[in-house]
Order: sequence, then C-alpha cells, then structure tokens
Amino acid sequence: MILEKLIIKNFRSYYSDNTFVLSKGLTLIIGDNGDGKTTFFEALEWLFDTSTDNKNVSNVSEKRKSELEIGETDEVSVSLFFEHNGHKELEKSFMFEKNANGVNTKNFKFIGYNNEGVERISINGKNLLESCFDTVIRKYCLFKGERDLNVFNNDTALKTLVDTFSGIKKFDELYDLTSEFERKSQDVVTRELKNDKKQKNEIDRIESDLSQVSQEIRVIKIDIDNKERKVNEFANKIRLLEENQDACENYQKIKERIKKKQEEKSKLIAFASLDYNSALLDDYWVLRPFPSIIDEFQKKISLLSREKRKLEKDENERIAIEKGKKEAIENIQKLANGAVPLPWNLPDKQTMQEMIDEEVCKVCGRPAPKGSEPYIFMTQKLNEYLEHVKNETNKKQQEERIKPLFLNHYINELNTRSIQLSGDTERTISCIASNIAERLEYIQSRKNDLEKINKDLQEAEDAKVQLLIQNNELTEEILDKNFRDFKGLTDSNKKTELDLAELKRTLGELERRKADLKAEQNNLTPTNVNVKIFQKVHTSFEKIMDAFLAAKNNNISEFIYTLEQEANKYLVKLNANDFHGTVRLIRTTNDSARITLFSSNGSQVHNPSGSQLTTMYMSVLFAISNITTLKREQDYPLIFDAPSSSLGYDKQEEYYNLIDKLDKQCIIVTKDFLVDSDKKIKDLNMDKINKLTSSVYRITKIEGFNQSDLSTIQTQIIPIKN
Amino acid sequence: METEKLYDIWAKRNPQWETKYEKSIIKIFTDYGKGATNFREARGKLFGAGYEIFIIAFFIGLYYNLRRPLIEDSTQRKTFGQPIQYWGNLDSAKGRKSYPKLKEFIFIALIARTDIDFISLDKEDGINSRKAVDMLMQTMEEYANWGFHFIMDKLIDDPNHFYKETAFLEIFLAFDASPKDSPIEEMPDPLD
Repeated sequence: MILEKLIIKNFRSYYSDNTFVLSKGLTLIIGDNGDGKTTFFEALEWLFDTSTDNKNVSNVSEKRKSELEIGETDEVSVSLFFEHNGHKELEKSFMFEKNANGVNTKNFKFIGYNNEGVERISINGKNLLESCFDTVIRKYCLFKGERDLNVFNNDTALKTLVDTFSGIKKFDELYDLTSEFERKSQDVVTRELKNDKKQKNEIDRIESDLSQVSQEIRVIKIDIDNKERKVNEFANKIRLLEENQDACENYQKIKERIKKKQEEKSKLIAFASLDYNSALLDDYWVLRPFPSIIDEFQKKISLLSREKRKLEKDENERIAIEKGKKEAIENIQKLANGAVPLPWNLPDKQTMQEMIDEEVCKVCGRPAPKGSEPYIFMTQKLNEYLEHVKNETNKKQQEERIKPLFLNHYINELNTRSIQLSGDTERTISCIASNIAERLEYIQSRKNDLEKINKDLQEAEDAKVQLLIQNNELTEEILDKNFRDFKGLTDSNKKTELDLAELKRTLGELERRKADLKAEQNNLTPTNVNVKIFQKVHTSFEKIMDAFLAAKNNNISEFIYTLEQEANKYLVKLNANDFHGTVRLIRTTNDSARITLFSSNGSQVHNPSGSQLTTMYMSVLFAISNITTLKREQDYPLIFDAPSSSLGYDKQEEYYNLIDKLDKQCIIVTKDFLVDSDKKIKDLNMDKINKLTSSVYRITKIEGFNQSDLSTIQTQIIPIKN
Repeated sequence: METEKLYDIWAKRNPQWETKYEKSIIKIFTDYGKGATNFREARGKLFGAGYEIFIIAFFIGLYYNLRRPLIEDSTQRKTFGQPIQYWGNLDSAKGRKSYPKLKEFIFIALIARTDIDFISLDKEDGINSRKAVDMLMQTMEEYANWGFHFIMDKLIDDPNHFYKETAFLEIFLAFDASPKDSPIEEMPDPLD
C-alpha cells in the first residue's frame, strides 16, 4: 500500500483545502507546537476510525465557521489517495450548517473509490479500509507520540502480533481442541476408576492432591508475575536515578551553596544592624558636638579661677598691709611681670622637686642652675608648699580669726572638674566623631556585602529552578532523596530477584509434583479392562496436547527470534556510525515481550539514552513492518508523530536520510529543523534541510493570528522540497 | 568643713517639662509611665526611661543654643520619677549599657551656658547655692523645652519621622564636631 495524496479540508485548523503530496520514501512534515502537527495526525486517525460515525462539531474549522452566514453550509472532509492493487481513494466527510444557535452537522459519509481504468466505482468506506489497511496493521503503522513507540508496553501486543503474523492461530485452535479431548478422556477414566471400589480412595486422593497442586501452581505463577513486574519497576527507577545522577549531583551542590550563603547572610545581618538610638546614650554619641562646649567651659572656669585668685591675692595683700608686715604664708613672691601666681599646690611637690633636682624649668625648658634666679624661685615655691602643708592648722586658726573673703569653694570645685577634663577625657570626647564615622562606614560595608550575598542567593535559587525545569521528570524531592534511595533500591531489587529465583524453583518443583501425580493417575491399575483402554486413550491425548503446546511455544520463540534478527538489521542501519549493540526481545511469563538493548560485550544496557531508545523501538517497528510485508505480500506505510525529539541535534538529518533510504514509505511529523528563537513563527534551518533527501512540508499558523481566538488560527501548508 | 559640692546639689534635683509633650513624645518614644525599663524590648519603644528622651531634647536645644521658657502654669508641668543622680544607671540588660558620666557633661554644659556670678556665690554675697542651682535647672529645662518643640515640629510634618532608625542620630551628625579652633588667648592680667 503506498499513500499518494492526502487532502484535509476544514478539519480544525486546516481551513479549506490542504493537499499533501506524499513521497514513496520519507515525507517530513515540519511544524512547531500548535501549528497543526498533531491535527494532521488526528485527521488521519479520524479518517481511519471505523468504530464510530464521528461528525463532531469540534472537528470543524473555527475560521470557516466564523465566515458562514446563517443558512450557509460547507463540508469537513479528509481524503486519501493511495495505491493498493490499483489506485484507490478513501474519503470521509460531513456537512456543517450555520444556524442561529451556532453550527449543526449532518450528512456523514464514508466512501471508498476504486479507480479501475476510467471508471470510478464507489464502495463502502469501512469495507475498503478493512480490506486494504485493516485495524491490526494500522496498530503497527500509526504512532502518535513517542510513548506509543514501545509497542510491547501493552501486554497483549506480542500475542496479537504473533497471532496475526505467525499463522499460529491454527495451533491455538488445535491446542484448545486437544486440551478438551485430554480433559474429557481424563474425566471418563476418573469416573470409571471411582466405580472401582478398590481404587476409589486412591483416585480421590490423587484428585485432591492434583487440585491442590494446580492451585498452588496458579498462585505461584501470579506471584512470579508480580515479582517480575517489580524487578522491572526497580530497573526503571534505577535507570532514572542513574540517568539523573548529574542532575542530582548538581542539585546537591546548589543546595550546599544556598545553605552556605544563607549562613553568611545571617551573620552579616547581625553585623549590619545597630541600635542607633541606644548608642546615642550608651556610647555617648550624643556628645559628638560637645568639644566646643568643653572649650567654653574651660575658658570660663579658667577666667573665674584667675579672677578669684586675684581677688584673694588682693585681699591678702590688704590684710598684710593692714596688719603690718606679717609673714603670712600667703604673701607670695611677686612674679616678674606682676602676674597672678599659681595656686600654692601647683605645680605639685613631685614636679617641683624634679625640676629643682634637675636644675631645669620643665615648662619653658630653660636651665635653672643652682644659685640662679629661676632656681631660687623654684626652691622658694617648694618651701612655700611645704610651709603651707605644715602650717595648715596655723592657717586655719588665723583664718578663724579673720573672716575669709570666700566662704565657698565652688569655683575650686569647678576648676578641679575643668582640669580633670583635660587629657584623656577631652581626647575621648574628640574621638567620638571619628568613632561614629568608622562605625557607620563599617555598617555600610556590611550592608553592601549583604546585598551581594542576596544576589548570590538569588542566582543559586535561579540555578535550582533551571535545573528543575530542564529535568522536568524530576521533582526537588526526588533529587534530594536520590542518593539515599539508590542504595535502598538496589538492595530491594536484589532481594526481589532472589525471591523470584526461589519462586521459580518452587514452581519447578510443583510442576514436577503435578507431573508425578498425573503419572500416578495414569498408572493406577484398574480391575476393569475398559478403564485400561480409557487410560491409554487419555495418555495419547495428553501427549498430543503437550506436543501442540510445545509447538505453539516454539512458534512464538521463532517469531520473536525472527523479529529480533530483522530489528537488528535496522538497528545497524539507523545507528550508522554510532553505537551498535543488539536488540533482544525477552519473553515474559504472560506471553508478552520486553525490548531490551545489549552492548557488544554481552552486557545489558540498563539505561539507554533517549536517542538509543527511539532507535531501538523504531528498529523493532520497521522489523514488524517487514514481516507484515512478507506475510501479506503488501507493503504498508509507517506514520509517526514526532518520534525523534530525543535525538541529539546533530543526528537529525543523518537519521532522516537513513529512513529515506529504507525502501519503506514513511511519513514523519516533527518539530525538528526549526530555528529556536522568540519569533512567533520560527524559521526553518535551511542548511540542514538542504541536506535532506526526503520530501519536506512546512506547516505553520498563518501570520496575524490571535492566540485566544480560534477563528483566527489557520494552518498553512508550504511545500519545501519534493 | 565639708560643704556639699555644687554638682551634688544639682544632681539631687529633677527637671520639669511641659505635660503637653507627655502623650505626643515621651510616651511614644519611651516606656515612661509603664514600669521598669527592662520591658522596653517587648514594647518596641526607642528608649527606656522617660528621662532619656529628655536628655536627647536637652542636647538638641544645647547644640542649637536655643531656649524656650517653660509654661507658667505649674499644673501643666511635670517631673520624672528619678532625680538626675540616677540618670544613666542602667543594669546592663537587653543590650543596653549604663552611661553614668553623661550627667556630668550635662552639668558642665549648664555651667558654661548659665550666667551665674560665681564670685558672689563663693563669697555668698547675694546668691546662695540653692539659687545658683535653680538657675542651672532653668537653663536645663529651657534647652530641653526647645528640643521637645523641635521634635514636635518634625512629628507634625511626618509622624513616622523618628521611626527611621538613624533619625535621631542624624540630628547630631549635623552639628560641628570640632572644638573652637582658637587656642586659649593669653589675656593680659590687669596691672594691680
């Protein structure tokens, strides 16, 4: 069967007539998401649907609907022109009419046409389809989406294949027949034996044992089935974990990074904060502008102190003059320029002694050698000090007799305070301004660091999100648990495999036991001669039945083997220069099969890459198609929807060119060869397309469409290559 | 004879402030009237004892060198629970430290800015220590009063102004921090 032309009219996004001329080899139909790829496929599926008369209004082109006036009609149709023992046509259609409430549909038609010479004979569409391209074949020719490619996902798939293509149906019938014979003959024997009183007990015992063993065998088979399924699941999970090892490692790294940054962040937050208001008081920051006030104070007090001393001096002089020349200790030596002398206690005794001993004035720096005027001045001052101390009591008595000028000593108190301010205290206050500045700078610095850390954190979080997007099979939970799970899974898997081995051994034992019981049954020596004959008949039937069972199994094995061989031929071709390995089809207990990949050194490839998987499945499909061709003496097209999306970017043209050369008609609808960009309508990568040997169509939405208004969306077909 | 120091006489006193600032400033920024200051954290006030905002207000007036006489009506004036001598004696809890020396600096500022005839005071001629301290207190209260007025103005413009964590600090950053640059001038003594 070779498809020649497909016309899609008013079917969903395919507005009006859209014609695809199909190549004998590969026809590529390239479109982006939403351009109409899947719709193309679904139009075909609609055409091939023989189970319902689907004239659903949802299949009608919105654009065409919106153009109709009330009362106007048009039609939806999909027509296929093909060659199958002559040129034929298949057309499915229905009418749609615009009315006040919307659109209604009618006149569903499904017609086939036989073009014999000049005549065009119409026949029932369903019949034509079934006779040319029946349901079973279609199952292995039409594949929508990548998941469908693993044909053996469905348990009965292999059985169907075998049934259809290996001519084994006859065996089934024969096996069924002979099983029945075996059973019936067994019943006769049993019935007769039961009449024999001697054997009755034996027979009853064997019967009950047999029934028990059969039951146990049934149970064990279910168990084995479950465990095999589990092993398969584990294998898949382990594969998933291994495939995602990179992703998991990266995830862990990112998690570490995030944790570290968050720790740094909390530290910084502590350093970057300050209770400014408390610092005003607790750290005396409120005294930052105080130095000038200290200045004011000291100047004021200094003046006061001097004034007081002057007044005191004047008073003393007055007293001295009044009382005559009394040697008052307060009668102090005059200073050179008549200035007011320092109080009696300044400089202190220690300082004066030091200066005298070293014969130098340590204030002005000038030498005061023994006997010089400064030297004499200093010694007299020291004496005055000593006298003053010694004569405290005398002084006090004198003072009591004379009313002192100054009763209070508040100025002295203030003076002391003023002196105490000098030196360290004053310096400390002066430093407050720079302390504050430093502190503020430090905090600002920490704030800047904090900003940077926040940026880093955001980057790490973004990286995490990216990772999750790129590996959308995985959730954060899976990534997190990954490594811990791995060991658990491999351990569970080992255990299950051991259990499985054990079960299989037990099954073997049980089946041997069953065989033994049956042999016992057969060897029961009846007293009745007829029963012996019945027994022999039964044994014969049993052997025939077994023979057919063995033949059936052989047939399935042979079929699988053939399929495997054919698949591997395609595998080599499709892989071209790449990995070779072999496909092996492994039978499962429930009469189905698993497709597995083995590398050339004989070990199973447990986690084939996406492209390896695709190639593997496609090889099996091509093999099945070949077998179909052989058995039916007819070739059938293979129609795939986007099977190569997991192929690496480089492989695509190679891949399609290989398929083109396969001498099979293929139609592949795909997203490949589109240039990734932000454009609404992506460009084709013409460099790569020019390297293709196949036919190419581009389907795309017409420009100026509105995403939210279906009636503006229309698929446009552009032939690129023939 | 051990007469009491002027400083100590002053430290036993308690400055007055206008009650109109009680609700609008003192209770807003301090725990005044609510018990022990170590509950400050829980309440989230900027300062602890009521006198703390008084100190801030005082320094604002001092550095601006602007005063504002207190209202005559004594019913509209109040004092704090603790006289000056206890100011700054915090137990170092909840991240605060004690600042006992601050009041000495307040005293120094008051001496510098109050026009007391100290000579007459020491002579005890026409003025005694009580009167002198009264004058010191008046200076203190009037500077603080101006400071409160300053704060009030800002709050009227923007009630949230002082909740910015550096709002108070910024006031003090605006003043000149350097001492007056002229060295002590050598004033010639009058010839006797």
